[in-house]
Amino acid sequence: MSWELLISPEEVDKANQELLQTAEKVGADTWQQRVANQTPHCGFGESGTCCRICSMGPCRISKKAPRGICGCDIHGIVARNYLRFTAGGSATHSDHGRSIAHTLYNASPDGNYKVTDSEKLLRIAKEWGIETENKDIYDVAHEVALVGLNEYGKPFGNLLFTQRAPKARQAIWESQDILPRAIDREVSQAMHMTHMGCSSDPEALVRQPLRAGLSDGWGGSMMGTEFSDILFGTPRPIDTEANIGVLEEDMVNIIVHGHDPSLSEMIVFYANDPEMIAYAKEQGAKGINIAGVCCTSNEVAMRHGIPMAGNFLAQENVVLTGACEAIVVDVQCIFPALGPLSKCFHTKFITTSPIARIPDSDFIEFKEETAAENAKAIVKMAIENFKNRKPELVHIPKQKSKATVGYSVEAIKKCLDGVTNSHVDELGTMKPLVDAVKSGVIRGAVAMVGCNNPKVRQDVYHIELMKKLLENDILVVVTGCSAQAAAKVGLMDKEAAKYCGEGLKRVCRLVGIPPVLHMGSCVDISRMMVLASDIAKDWGIEISEIPLVGCAPEWMSEKAVSIGNYVVATGIDTFLGVDPYTKGSEQVKGFLQSGLKRWVGANFIVNQDLDMLSTMMIEHIEEKREALGI
Amino acid sequence: MKRLFDRVLDGSSEMMVRAERSIDEVEAKYGLDAPVLLPETAYNCAVNLAYKGTKISTVADLRNALDVIEGMIKKRQNTTAIFNAGIATAMSAELIEACKYVGTATPYEGTPYHGHFSDAEVRELGVPLVTGDIPGFVVIIDEAPSDEEAVELIKGYQSRGIFVFLIGKIIDQALRMGVNMGFPVRVVAVGQDIWSVSHIVSFCDRAAMIFGAIEPGDWDGFQEYTFVRLRAFVNAFKPVRDMTVACGGGAIALGFPVITNDTEDMWKVPKSLIIQENTKDFIETSLEARDIKIKVTNIDIPIAYSSAFEGEIVRKKDMQVDFDTSRVDGFELVRSCAINEVEDHKITVVGPDIDEVEPGSVMNLGVLVEVYGKNFQSDFEPVIERKFHEFINKAEGIMHTGQRDIIRVRINKSAFDAGFRMKHYGEILYAKVKNEYEKVVDKCQVTIFTDPEQCKELRAAANVKYDERDARLANLTDESVDQFYTCILCQAFSPSHVCIVTPERLGLCGAVSWLDAKATNELDPTGPCQIVTKEKMIDERTGAYEDVNEAVREYSHGALEQVTLYSILEDPMTSCGCFECICGIEPMTSGFAIVNREHTGMTPLGMTFSEMASMTGGGIQTPGYMGHGKHFIASKKFLKAEGGVARLVWMPTALKDVVRKKLDKTAMELYGIENFTDMIADETVMNDPGDPAELMEYLASVGHPVLEMEPLL
Repeated sequence: MSWELLISPEEVDKANQELLQTAEKVGADTWQQRVANQTPHCGFGESGTCCRICSMGPCRISKKAPRGICGCDIHGIVARNYLRFTAGGSATHSDHGRSIAHTLYNASPDGNYKVTDSEKLLRIAKEWGIETENKDIYDVAHEVALVGLNEYGKPFGNLLFTQRAPKARQAIWESQDILPRAIDREVSQAMHMTHMGCSSDPEALVRQPLRAGLSDGWGGSMMGTEFSDILFGTPRPIDTEANIGVLEEDMVNIIVHGHDPSLSEMIVFYANDPEMIAYAKEQGAKGINIAGVCCTSNEVAMRHGIPMAGNFLAQENVVLTGACEAIVVDVQCIFPALGPLSKCFHTKFITTSPIARIPDSDFIEFKEETAAENAKAIVKMAIENFKNRKPELVHIPKQKSKATVGYSVEAIKKCLDGVTNSHVDELGTMKPLVDAVKSGVIRGAVAMVGCNNPKVRQDVYHIELMKKLLENDILVVVTGCSAQAAAKVGLMDKEAAKYCGEGLKRVCRLVGIPPVLHMGSCVDISRMMVLASDIAKDWGIEISEIPLVGCAPEWMSEKAVSIGNYVVATGIDTFLGVDPYTKGSEQVKGFLQSGLKRWVGANFIVNQDLDMLSTMMIEHIEEKREALGI
Repeated sequence: MKRLFDRVLDGSSEMMVRAERSIDEVEAKYGLDAPVLLPETAYNCAVNLAYKGTKISTVADLRNALDVIEGMIKKRQNTTAIFNAGIATAMSAELIEACKYVGTATPYEGTPYHGHFSDAEVRELGVPLVTGDIPGFVVIIDEAPSDEEAVELIKGYQSRGIFVFLIGKIIDQALRMGVNMGFPVRVVAVGQDIWSVSHIVSFCDRAAMIFGAIEPGDWDGFQEYTFVRLRAFVNAFKPVRDMTVACGGGAIALGFPVITNDTEDMWKVPKSLIIQENTKDFIETSLEARDIKIKVTNIDIPIAYSSAFEGEIVRKKDMQVDFDTSRVDGFELVRSCAINEVEDHKITVVGPDIDEVEPGSVMNLGVLVEVYGKNFQSDFEPVIERKFHEFINKAEGIMHTGQRDIIRVRINKSAFDAGFRMKHYGEILYAKVKNEYEKVVDKCQVTIFTDPEQCKELRAAANVKYDERDARLANLTDESVDQFYTCILCQAFSPSHVCIVTPERLGLCGAVSWLDAKATNELDPTGPCQIVTKEKMIDERTGAYEDVNEAVREYSHGALEQVTLYSILEDPMTSCGCFECICGIEPMTSGFAIVNREHTGMTPLGMTFSEMASMTGGGIQTPGYMGHGKHFIASKKFLKAEGGVARLVWMPTALKDVVRKKLDKTAMELYGIENFTDMIADETVMNDPGDPAELMEYLASVGHPVLEMEPLL
């Protein structure tokens, strides 16, 4: 059956073309143009065979020059680059988590940040052995934050969250020597191992990324997720809208972009302030419209239903509408291009984090203690900018879709409770999902994650893969830019369930969910790890036995490689649509794409072909079923 | 463990092979051209018709249907294949059952089994389904752990109003335990073999076609209808064979969960296939699985109370006492009173109770229900009074017929032995009146008179009241009121139908008069009966109003543009499918024939009730055909645009008897014709009821006025 409810790639192209015409009109540079300028890419860089770790080089490996000046061979060089790539991602995610931990530490009943989900706070306190009896909730919050912060640099022991994994998985980590220690230590060790004159053994260099990845997924990211939930609320299903058409022609449009919800939460709060709305009206607008881009969008959509304007490669589009009063950013995935681009329009490009300082922006440093005034100032700046719009440049493509988002693990369990029978089942488990998979009604699940990458036609891999999986009764859970890709075209509209295979269609209907479940931003892939663990526990099997695979078809960032490492290390085979700069070494490729299986029961599969990717994922899931005798 | 999908696929193939065998047998015996006709239905072999649009009329068609089924069974491991195979199983099962009806219309005669359901039976359940009197259906398959448990389960469902279909060995258990079974008591022994389940699927599919106007072949339409609108579920006792699992696949495809106590090779599927090893919990588990909430009215009586007992008959031999106003005095009356005249929940019995008379006695019965309510209007008195029949009938072992001062009530011995006395009779009325009319009844007291003298006196007083009401009703014409009402009660089943209820045109189901609609509107201002103004008349002759059209457009959600109130040829009113009567054009005489649901014979239109009924229903407008209530027939507005009741050329005798008095009066007033009802032909005056020429002959012989009228077409 066709998917006529969805916005088609052709319609998306048409809208993009319209915006590019505006770009041309104002003489703006766009990523499409820069991709053309950068093509073809450097072959050494692409295959991971260029080493510039010390200043004797750069060394580029070729037939003529098979070793670097220090004598490191191609496998060592590719593997070192790969480990550094992972360390970059792990550090980035984990630092995000650290920043949230600081926010939690500073939370106070009359401050800018408060405890919203105290139940979760108490649960984690208990999990970490923190006494809560007769204690003020904020004292508990500070203690939990402190223990969390300590995870980054504790001298001994392993990460506390790893104990959430099934025992069998913990044993694998232990026996493979990849059970992560302090979060920062794994990143530091990665940098150390790859320093000139340290490791050149590809096996060791492929093992450490697993541990560095785990310190992200089961450490920094998980902390980012959990502490964000404590501060801003654990997501529950909420309706919203997605795609560029969520911008409002007659309102002050403020775009929040980046990753850290500490900023966006405040902006959302003050945009709803009656005083601010009145001010916006005074300035000739009908009101204030906040929309998100990238993972910030996921954060505010799943907690407040704030519409999603677009994902990573749509960030320039929001400015190109000519209707964006301000684009407010924090950290990660922000194009420096937004600086010059915003200058072509009336748009204010506001940077807020010392971590992401970008030329041609207004920098308003966002601090926990001054968050309220910072946010207010930003909203005010946007309102005052409304009058500077150039009407002749305003064009908002009419595309938007309905979406239901916010499926945290807690929310999924709640939904599943709805299909239990109180006379035979227990509540608060994954068992209904497990039963649906065991019986064959649902064949399995795919966790689709990751970015956009101009090497792949934007969103098309995400969407086409999802469609194929859904037609085959495979449940799709998503985060990050993959989630937005789905939301933008309508795959998170509950109505879209009608295009799924009969099994999934029925499940969606009975459970009352859209066929693609939005689990959050990219740090929230940690939610997927908890989900997989809970499924394994409720099923009584090992994670690697579950008919479940991961997929990042359009990934581009270092974070994505870190994610890939912890997903595989957790026992979930992961399919990539873009190569992680490792094709230069047969040995490294061999480890990643098959050797890891022997260590952790899962590996990477890299394939750029869309049809092959979907076919292989389905086959993979069916093979796992066969092995289980289901 | 054998995989669930493999079990469905194997069971589906097995059923198909058996169907083939059955077809081989009938072909050998009767030949390929032999007719295959399930009785009293316009949707022959409804399961095959519904899902694949397969029309079956001969043995050869059965064989072709088998090819279609074979194409549906694909050995693939996905739910689409399983749903297809499950429905294919039901289709195969239907072919097996259809084979039994080759050469005989009554293959189950002399057996305890019901087999095929008639369209009339499907239609009969329309109203109780929408009102929630039947909150759901259960199909119980095979043997309960013990005979006692079988009865407990059946009675448990029955007492909750759930319609019970039985298949297989549980029927033997019920028979051994002397369970009273049959369509009227809503416990039906469908058949011995698993393939008899097809009769139930057929029942559901016909409900979709009749009430939902789902077209044959609209696969998704049927699935959606049964999933959303039919609260059915299955209880399957162990051991469950593959063929039953395959039928279960079909049930789940339709949206009906299966609850079983079998654990062998059985797989749980949330809300669809539930393993409940404790069979004592079957009922509660099942109701939760299908989201059925039972409306409970707590009535303090020693006997069971449920809609399932409404159709129960108390025979003379089981009777403890008989109240019969054709022999002694009695009456039923609701009277509104001042606040200080009513003491809430006061139940008084005046005269001897039933334990003070000999078993088998005929007794007087006067029932006076006095109510007070701030928002009570005297127009609600007859509305409530008319519900006594239903209120009393739902008690197990009590039978009630009639109304006003023509009533007959029987109480059987087991109810009496259980301790039922006349104060309980009062309790039932009190509880139901307070519960169903809580918005308008603040206080209610009930007095039961069995004393002959009092009954005589009060009967006379009641008759004064009845006469007053009749006078008011006689004055209640479409012209004398300012507003009509919609009734969309049926939309739960027939989503695009809207009734417009006027004083002279009651709802087509016969259950909603203008006063009922008015009361319903007062009780629930946002409910199914909404006020329709009548300010913008378009055409007086056909009864067309802009206001009515607007209401119809709104409440049919755009499915219907306009209706007239008094014409059958020009934009006639639609129907849901649960109409009491269907009226259709008879072209040769330029007249109309009416047939009531109970009549199963042929009509001069060459169609039976079922076939005529299938011309309309589901909110579809079919000029020339119209469903309506019995009491609309004698109205001056009936067929008004076409010339009125003088167009009536044929009706079954039973229907004539119901409407005779009023119809004669109407004809007298409109045309000055005496005894007009006798001029209408019926099944007794024609040798071949399907022959229009014979009808013409009869009309000529009695000088029927239609012969003088303009041709219709």
